[in-house]
Amino acid sequence: MFSARSAFLSIPSPAPLVEEFLQQLTNGLAVGGIYALIALGYTMVYGVLKLINFAHGDLFTYGAYLGLTLLTSLALTDRVGFALGVLVLVLMVMGLVAVLGAVLERAAYRPLRESPRLSAVVSALGASIFLQNTLMLIYGARFQVYPDGILPSATLDLFGLYLPLMRVLIVLASVLMMVALYLFIQKTKIGAAIRAAAIDQDAARLMGIDVNRVILLVFLLGPALGGAAGLMVGLYYGQINFAMGWVYGMKAFTAAILGGIGNIPGAMAGGLLLGVIEALGAAYISIAWKDAIAFCVLILILIVRPTGLLGERVADKI
Amino acid sequence: MKQKFLTLVTAFALVASGAVARAADTVKIGLMAPLTGSWASEGQGMKKIVELLAEQQNAKGGVLGKQIEVVVEDDGGDPRTASLAAQRLTTRGVAAVVGTYGSSVTEASQAIYDEAKIPQIANGSTAIRLTEKGFEHFFRTAPRDDEQGRMAAQTIEKLGFKKAAILHDSTSYAKGLADEANALLKKKGTEVVFFDALTPKENDYTAILTKLKGAGPDVVLFTGYYPEAGLLLKQKKGMNWSVPFIGGDATNNVDLVKIAGKAAEGFYFLSPPQPQDLDTADAKAFLTAYQKKYNELPPSIWAVLAGDGFRVAVAGIVGAKSTDGDKIANYLHKDLKHYPGLSGQISFDAKGDREGEVYRVYKVDGEGKFVLQKL
Repeated sequence: MFSARSAFLSIPSPAPLVEEFLQQLTNGLAVGGIYALIALGYTMVYGVLKLINFAHGDLFTYGAYLGLTLLTSLALTDRVGFALGVLVLVLMVMGLVAVLGAVLERAAYRPLRESPRLSAVVSALGASIFLQNTLMLIYGARFQVYPDGILPSATLDLFGLYLPLMRVLIVLASVLMMVALYLFIQKTKIGAAIRAAAIDQDAARLMGIDVNRVILLVFLLGPALGGAAGLMVGLYYGQINFAMGWVYGMKAFTAAILGGIGNIPGAMAGGLLLGVIEALGAAYISIAWKDAIAFCVLILILIVRPTGLLGERVADKI
Repeated sequence: MKQKFLTLVTAFALVASGAVARAADTVKIGLMAPLTGSWASEGQGMKKIVELLAEQQNAKGGVLGKQIEVVVEDDGGDPRTASLAAQRLTTRGVAAVVGTYGSSVTEASQAIYDEAKIPQIANGSTAIRLTEKGFEHFFRTAPRDDEQGRMAAQTIEKLGFKKAAILHDSTSYAKGLADEANALLKKKGTEVVFFDALTPKENDYTAILTKLKGAGPDVVLFTGYYPEAGLLLKQKKGMNWSVPFIGGDATNNVDLVKIAGKAAEGFYFLSPPQPQDLDTADAKAFLTAYQKKYNELPPSIWAVLAGDGFRVAVAGIVGAKSTDGDKIANYLHKDLKHYPGLSGQISFDAKGDREGEVYRVYKVDGEGKFVLQKL
């Protein structure tokens, strides 16, 4: 009785609880930002081709590895300073992974454009295995580690909330890229062409849109964002592995479905939401059940809204 | 004349068949290792060690007058792949199998080898129940988790910690060790303020660390593997949280320091001795040979234990004077005593477990070196 009472008295005041909640929320947003960036690649390809590009997770891994190689071989951050160095690095990695994405489209998907959809899915899985094992043969099976001390390790201390500067930057960078993509798709002529091809390829072709070019563009944009996400994971977490694209790919794919696959704002929302659900599930229910909780939420959302959170457009298409 | 001719033909046939037999007939020893997947660095080390030992043994004339052929199968660090690998090995006519690393992976293959009557000598699998199933053909050069659990509880007590948090990763190895340590700590009166599992192969463990920190332990026992341990240490440092971590033997890998960087300093872990701390002349000579051939040290003690598994398999075949699985297993159970292995003397008890205490406590110093502790 007495001990129960003293335990009651020792319950922390609400402030630490709120603090922990906010901390977990930021933890979730940081992870979710990465999921969202990768999810965009899945959702764009699906929107235009109705194809799940299973090799997309591996393009993300290539971003991380290319970033490491460029970082260590060019020593950019030593030459031009941290901020500019990282910016150049991000652009280089995005460019290279975009090229890789275009090559993938040419080699693995375009020859199968007219085949049954299942062939393309098998080709995607094959491409994924090929890319992953190529990486293992080049870099070896061990974990690769980004050099220590390249990034500023400053931590913002906001009323006891721990916010490493890099984390904030990662969230900002991913949001920035997502907004830029959204504006590109919604406001430009090329964006309109992508949207048109997503709604009906044949009709788009009749309107004079070069659908092949749209598809190529989608395979440039998606992998560029995925590659940037890979680089950010490498820079921030430091540890990269040739097989890491699988877990991230699965999560991002889930995020894309959660938000409504084929829908760009949906992928962003889905990614951030999945990250937050995971963090809060781990914090307040059980760490071990984190993924199960995230998938339960996914199932619930799909029961209520079968096309995902923002997925009305997909319904139109089908 | 006819007689003579017949003798000649017979002799010729005998010689010919003998020659053919010698060319094609080798003693096959299987190696099942995670050559790909997230434990690939262990698996590659296992393969390198076993191949070097086979080379050395073959230079000494092989075994039973025949050359040894190592048949390697990749288990991918995955139970499903392992059962396929095991089935392939059983059809390749191996006399014994060395491996593998993860307990859940070994578990998926045990019954397959036992049914085929092929002795299996696991090198990294420490889960208790592997040897509690009564398999006659299963051995391990690795120690068991309950021994490690005892050591973990003892270390926490000796270092004077009062409130422990335990974190595992739901693999059969990590959970077994966590359960064992949990029970022993509670019995000794150490408070266990946190007990849960993380999901391996992720990159971000800040949610877990935030929750752990909220529980207010003065030490954290993490029973999972090195990739996650490295990230935990790094992200813990990023949180400005200075609680000491103690790891199980699966954190014993040089990649831990590569991943965690300076954050690895002060990390304790339990392990059988490091490859470079092996002090017998035999082990030192072998490590020199290994370094000469591959230009590096073995990734961890587990790869060395695979080497011991190979040597024990050879000793079993020599002792049993046969490649018959039952005879080899019988010899290993009953007659192999104090066999000089690379990691110390090896004897097996009736269950196939290695006898004797193997664990030590290590601490990572400021330069990322693993330093043997005397407690």
